[in-house]
Amino acid sequence: MKPAIFVNDLVIHYRQKNGQNVEAVRGLSFEVEPGEVVGFLGPNGAGKSSTLKALMGFAPPKSGQAEVFGLEAGSLEAKNRIGYLPEVALYYPYLTPLETLTLYGELQGLRGASLRHQATELLEVVGLGGAMRKQNRHLSKGMLQRVGIAQSLLGEPELLILDEVTSGLDPVGRKELRQILKDRQAQGCTLFFSSHELAEVEMLCDRILLIHRGQLIEERRMAALKDELRQYQVTFTGQVSMVGLTDDLTSWGTSTTARFESKSLLVQALERIFTQGGSVQDVLAQEGSLEEYFVQTIGRAA
Amino acid sequence: MSAPAIEFLNPTVRPTATRTRLWLSLARAVILESLRRKDLYVVGILGFLLMVSAGTLGFFGLQGLETFAKDLATTVLGLFSTIVAVLTGSRLMPDEIRNRTLYPLLARPMSRFDLIMGKFLGAVAVTWIAFGILAVLTGLALALFGVRFEAVMGQYLLLKSLGLAVVCAVSLCLSMVMTPSAAATMGFVLAFGTTMIVRALTMAYETASPAMQWLFKLVNAALPQYGLFDMGSRAANSGWGPVPLWVVGALLGYAVCYSSAMLALAWLKFRRQVV
Amino acid sequence: MREALLWGVGAATLLGVGLGTTQLKEVVHPPVKPAGLDAHETHASSSLLGQFRTSVSSWLWLRTDLYLHNGVEMRHLTQQELDRGKTGVGSSDNHDEALHNDELIVTVIPSRERDFRGFFGDLDRATKAYKDMSNHGHNDPKTALPLFRLMTWVDPTFVPGWTTAAAVIIRDRTEEANQKALGLLREGLAANPNSVGILSEIGFVHVSRRKDLRTAAAYFEQARQAGRAVVERLDDEDQEALLHGYRWLGLIYRDLGRTDSMREVLREGVQLFPDDPVLVRLLNPPPQVLSEQGQKAWQEAIQEELEGARADDHDHHDHHHDHEDHHDHDHP
Repeated sequence: MKPAIFVNDLVIHYRQKNGQNVEAVRGLSFEVEPGEVVGFLGPNGAGKSSTLKALMGFAPPKSGQAEVFGLEAGSLEAKNRIGYLPEVALYYPYLTPLETLTLYGELQGLRGASLRHQATELLEVVGLGGAMRKQNRHLSKGMLQRVGIAQSLLGEPELLILDEVTSGLDPVGRKELRQILKDRQAQGCTLFFSSHELAEVEMLCDRILLIHRGQLIEERRMAALKDELRQYQVTFTGQVSMVGLTDDLTSWGTSTTARFESKSLLVQALERIFTQGGSVQDVLAQEGSLEEYFVQTIGRAA
Repeated sequence: MSAPAIEFLNPTVRPTATRTRLWLSLARAVILESLRRKDLYVVGILGFLLMVSAGTLGFFGLQGLETFAKDLATTVLGLFSTIVAVLTGSRLMPDEIRNRTLYPLLARPMSRFDLIMGKFLGAVAVTWIAFGILAVLTGLALALFGVRFEAVMGQYLLLKSLGLAVVCAVSLCLSMVMTPSAAATMGFVLAFGTTMIVRALTMAYETASPAMQWLFKLVNAALPQYGLFDMGSRAANSGWGPVPLWVVGALLGYAVCYSSAMLALAWLKFRRQVV
Repeated sequence: MREALLWGVGAATLLGVGLGTTQLKEVVHPPVKPAGLDAHETHASSSLLGQFRTSVSSWLWLRTDLYLHNGVEMRHLTQQELDRGKTGVGSSDNHDEALHNDELIVTVIPSRERDFRGFFGDLDRATKAYKDMSNHGHNDPKTALPLFRLMTWVDPTFVPGWTTAAAVIIRDRTEEANQKALGLLREGLAANPNSVGILSEIGFVHVSRRKDLRTAAAYFEQARQAGRAVVERLDDEDQEALLHGYRWLGLIYRDLGRTDSMREVLREGVQLFPDDPVLVRLLNPPPQVLSEQGQKAWQEAIQEELEGARADDHDHHDHHHDHEDHHDHDHP
């Protein structure tokens, strides 16, 4: 089966107003398999939006390949299988959300009662049931983002490309969106999205791609990354030596707290406690900070 | 051949009926937005006020007023509808790009040419609606003056509509190569200045050198011949009948060809543009 | 779209302010201003509003030509064309009633033989008011009256608007028409108190249509007072009006038996216009060798020449053709 997204040695140039060429993406390569949820991360100006634009056909690449389900990125067949949410949610100010979705649905070949039904249902799902007949210019930024999410789901696309998907949403909105996206994934939809909300990335993604200055600097499976970032902690009493396992020890009174970077070290520590006559008071597993990982990785690549 | 060209030329990419539906859907959105902005009503009110104010000239009797009333009507119709055509045509695409409403559109399985065609049809529709509103209001004003509607006036309206479509196409094309303000300015210069330029060319042709004469022909061929669509002088004055059908047919053909050329140029500029 | 609204409102505001100049008159137009200055140009140069009004009134002035020719656009022959021996369309068939001479004008749209545009030219001739204008006719000048009314509203200092409109109205030769014309001219005089052209025109209406010599004389005298000191600074039309004022004053004083006044006026007129044959002949008595009948014929000849020259006075298109070599007032 062809990958949902295939990018190979992609190079994208922009010409600035002063005539200078800027290399936004430099030899980027990655794949996204069907059904995956992949987070596309990077600092501002890293080339995320440029890559998404290339996948949508908004920015023709200078060189390299960009394919969607084996089809050339930007082709009509490719776009027919994609739902896209742009970074900045702006829609025709004098149309209502229902009219907006009807327009986009018609452009996708949907028609008549089924289109109306789908548009109404999607707007209900994203929480705009009561505002679907208000003009877009009267909606808040968060509500416009919901319109954007709804329009990206029109026609039940096989691939969702979402740029800054949770931008403008309140915590309740973000939770609802996560559920929507999980439901889509459960139906087999591939999700590829960029976000600065690392908590959302952590909760949703199977894999992350980290891009910096137009190049891929890190590609990790989320489960493995979480394991790597997770820290373990055991609090015990008794004279137990932790030499060779950890130097991170804190004592108060008769208790000592030891921290370990891996599960295997924790297991070894527990064995020592038991064999050396100590007593375990508490064992904790602390999830690592994705933000810390992000900052350190970018810092190393700089 | 590039992918955009292939997708445009390949009839199996999308059936014609669906392509037409795309254009109509886009045009409908343009019309809806324009109507809800209420800008067209302003045009109508201005035109009506001008016509009604002509009634204050009844001092000199009805006979003298009829030619003036028809002349004022055709002037008002031509002036305001051309303003609407230039402003609408020159702002649609730049507004899409600036407001970023372009992205969800281009994300649809639709070529960039479909987008341009849809916007063009929308601009023409909005212009024709404005023209229609003005025509009805000026018609009412003329009726108040006791002026009868003649066949030549009907032809004037028809040909003027065709001319306005050409104005929309030219303005849209200009907006793809320059800023909206520059495109509007250039659009106005062409809309109101082309006839003057052509008149100057015909006047100077006989006394010009052969090289200049050749240049005059080239300029005349390139310029949009808006003046050909203006039957105002026949409609406003008495004793001028309708034009033969071959004239209407020829002008229709010219409008289609010239507009197509302008839209093709707009597409050539837009197809590889980074948005 | 909102920009179109702003432009429309802006233009309407300018027009409204222009039309409502009564309150501004005391400031913009001092009560007594030198008649020698062309108030039209002075007004235009003093403000942007003035320039706008001048442009609009000039455009309307040119448009009257279009009405007379039933929509066919005409233009004056260029010097180059005249040098190459090109001729105009010829006189209109009702020249006596014409307001102007068409000897040196041609259609703006060329004929098929002279048009390099080929098929485009054929389309142009088909869609426009175009025809062979050789020995053409004119529409009744009354069709242009709304334009004259409009141009005097837009720019009250545009004197030809007042005088030509009055000349067209009095062609009816009814007392009602006379009163209409006088009312219009008085309105013009209120806006241009020292206008030689308007004062002369009022005098002409009284003398030629109403046969009221004394009233006519009063207005011609006013024109004389306004213009004689600044005759070099008057424009062509005002100079022509002043000349006719002198002629008519001479005749009126002669008919009223006021010989001294007649001589004084005629001597002054001849000083200012030494080449005018009417003034010269009026000043000098008919040759004694002529019989009584001959002397009567002499006087009648003067009268005819005076009235014939008066008809030429309303050749406003000659004047605007002098000002504009070519004007395209087609609208999109």
